[in-house]
Amino acid sequence: MKNDTNSDSSKPKKRRRDEEIEAESSSSDRTLSLEENLTFSDTLVALRIMRAQFPHIDKVSIRPFILQSQLYSSVNDRTQVDRELESLRRERVLRVFKLNTGQDDHAIMFLDDYLNQIECVVKRMEEKKQVNLEVFEWFQTHVLDSKLEPSVGHEELCSLLSIVGKVKDEHISLLINAGILTRQLIDPDMYWFAIPNIGSVLKGLSQGRKEIISFLNRRKYKEMMLALLEKKHLRFSPLDMRFHLRDLIGSGHLKTIHTPTGLVVQISKD
Amino acid sequence: MWKEIGGREAGQIRPNSFANRVKSHRLSTLQLSNYKEIVSPHKGSINSLQVDLTEERYLLSGASDSSVAVYDVQRATDYEGGGHIAKHRSVFVVDKQHEHGHKYAISSAIWYPVDTGLFVTGSYDHYVKVWDTNCTRVVMNFKMPGKVYRTAMSPLAASHMLIAAGTEDVQVRLCDIASGAISQTLSGHRDGIMTVEWSTSSEWILVTGGCDGAIRFWDIRRAGCFRVLDQSQSQLGRRPPLLKRKVSISKSLSAGQNSSVKPRAPQKKSANGNGVRQSSVGRIPAKGSVRQRLHPGMLSSQDRATAHYGAVTGLKVTENGMYLLSAGSDSRIRLWDVESGRNTLVNFETVRLQTSKPIQLATTQDPAVVFVPCMTAVKAFDIWSGKTCLTFRGHYEYVNCCCFSSQDQELYTGGNDRQILVWCPSRHISDGVDAGPMQDQDNWSD
Repeated sequence: MKNDTNSDSSKPKKRRRDEEIEAESSSSDRTLSLEENLTFSDTLVALRIMRAQFPHIDKVSIRPFILQSQLYSSVNDRTQVDRELESLRRERVLRVFKLNTGQDDHAIMFLDDYLNQIECVVKRMEEKKQVNLEVFEWFQTHVLDSKLEPSVGHEELCSLLSIVGKVKDEHISLLINAGILTRQLIDPDMYWFAIPNIGSVLKGLSQGRKEIISFLNRRKYKEMMLALLEKKHLRFSPLDMRFHLRDLIGSGHLKTIHTPTGLVVQISKD
Repeated sequence: MWKEIGGREAGQIRPNSFANRVKSHRLSTLQLSNYKEIVSPHKGSINSLQVDLTEERYLLSGASDSSVAVYDVQRATDYEGGGHIAKHRSVFVVDKQHEHGHKYAISSAIWYPVDTGLFVTGSYDHYVKVWDTNCTRVVMNFKMPGKVYRTAMSPLAASHMLIAAGTEDVQVRLCDIASGAISQTLSGHRDGIMTVEWSTSSEWILVTGGCDGAIRFWDIRRAGCFRVLDQSQSQLGRRPPLLKRKVSISKSLSAGQNSSVKPRAPQKKSANGNGVRQSSVGRIPAKGSVRQRLHPGMLSSQDRATAHYGAVTGLKVTENGMYLLSAGSDSRIRLWDVESGRNTLVNFETVRLQTSKPIQLATTQDPAVVFVPCMTAVKAFDIWSGKTCLTFRGHYEYVNCCCFSSQDQELYTGGNDRQILVWCPSRHISDGVDAGPMQDQDNWSD
């Protein structure tokens, strides 16, 4: 990046000092350059840093979540990511949710954040004077603790909830209304765990993905410098550019190429 | 190379490791062959390729225009380019004009595992036909209730000659060549069956993958399947650690015995009567079969575990019989440990896979590399780490099938562009190894 073969010894020192000042100022900003922070060594480190970098969304109160494709772009070895995620899931540090935006999309949330999110939802329901709110407690203590997979069958759910008290249809409808359980087209008999209040964010996710892909497709060579692309503002998505870029690179729609002037992001042809 | 041969001669390198080194070196130099070509007479996309198991000499291909062709891949029919390029034309072609030929697309063409005297084809016209190779005549016909997606015969079978056929119908049918009738049906899948493979370690075990995303293991001597693979049951590593395995076995036993006290979800691995059925509260499930009394072997049909989030489009059992690779329409490839039935969580970097047609995967003999057709390219993945080693781009349209000949380390791929491409280890043209046959008029078959 620095061409100082012909300059004398004083000039490189000056340039280095300038760069240091720039680096300090950029690190004092909230936004760290994506180019320098694209990969991490460990899944847990990556998860924590990406949780801290989760964009703040105004209208919706949602706790930070991370997409699995973002993890794939952040750690070099994908098999290592899968295995570390599995062991973290078994230790009950985080939970994995299957999203319905496209194939094989999974969201990861730390367990404390998820429990906080459920608390917010329960509080809002209490304000609206809903009945049967004890089902949320039963859900948290029995179902979440024993069912670590992203889905649960109907009969199993009923049996787990009936340990404490009699479970009725209204209880399950309440869980679905709160957004904690959903059904997907795959299996009519299966409930999938979901993050409450996430609907608008997911819509923004799909629209943001489409926007970036169409933006790059319209360019002549379907590529752009990462440093420049990062600074663009997205019109249709409340999530920031860095979130989307990590997700698209990890899912394989975009690929990064190392060039002498930095990373270039290109639409992958496969 | 010469140093290694010297080492082998002196006894420093053992014979197996020498052979493996040479093979893996050749594998790493695979590229589109510039000295060998297969001339395909097909006018439709090629759906199935198989090299015969006995000599690895004859390649059988089945295409969408109802044609089947056989090529000799070791001996060329003529030479071009000054004797440098060997062209392999088909030994014979069977097409729609044949009086008993298939009427619609052929989805699967396989050799009889014992010798090349017979081959079996399955087609979208609902028929499975057994052909005599030398007379090119249909010897046997089996009618299926739906389009046939895959047929398979066990390479190890010593006491049976069953053709397993996977169709649009939910049942797997076993057709017996000895008696000429459909001898068994295996029920358990909830949607059509896209792939069927026999186990390479036992002649009685069949693995099927369905459009419902489930992979089931069947022992054909019993009713019902004995295992359904679940993608959430995973192990971290090639084999499960010894201690942990003991814990999981005791858990499944205790869950089976006192299902009311323990809140833990029962293991769904074995067709255990107590684990799966719980008394339903309130809602009656759509199928309504919970109240029915089922044969204990059929309880596995209640197990709805899925191996993929979409249909299972490709299956391959490794030659040592220990691992199973499955490709799904959710664009994921998974590696399963056959003995424990768990997902080894190896992540193969695939972006998109074909979803509408079954694809054929290929592996090398000591399972080191797996070849997967990914859209218009074929990718070779390292089987333990999931990283892409090689990418083969040559086809103009989607690739459907690939076949690896471990004797010569050659890869044959067929796709929707009606071509069969040969990928060989690179060789210098100046070697002059094949300059001989131009003058040699004899063509003895050895």
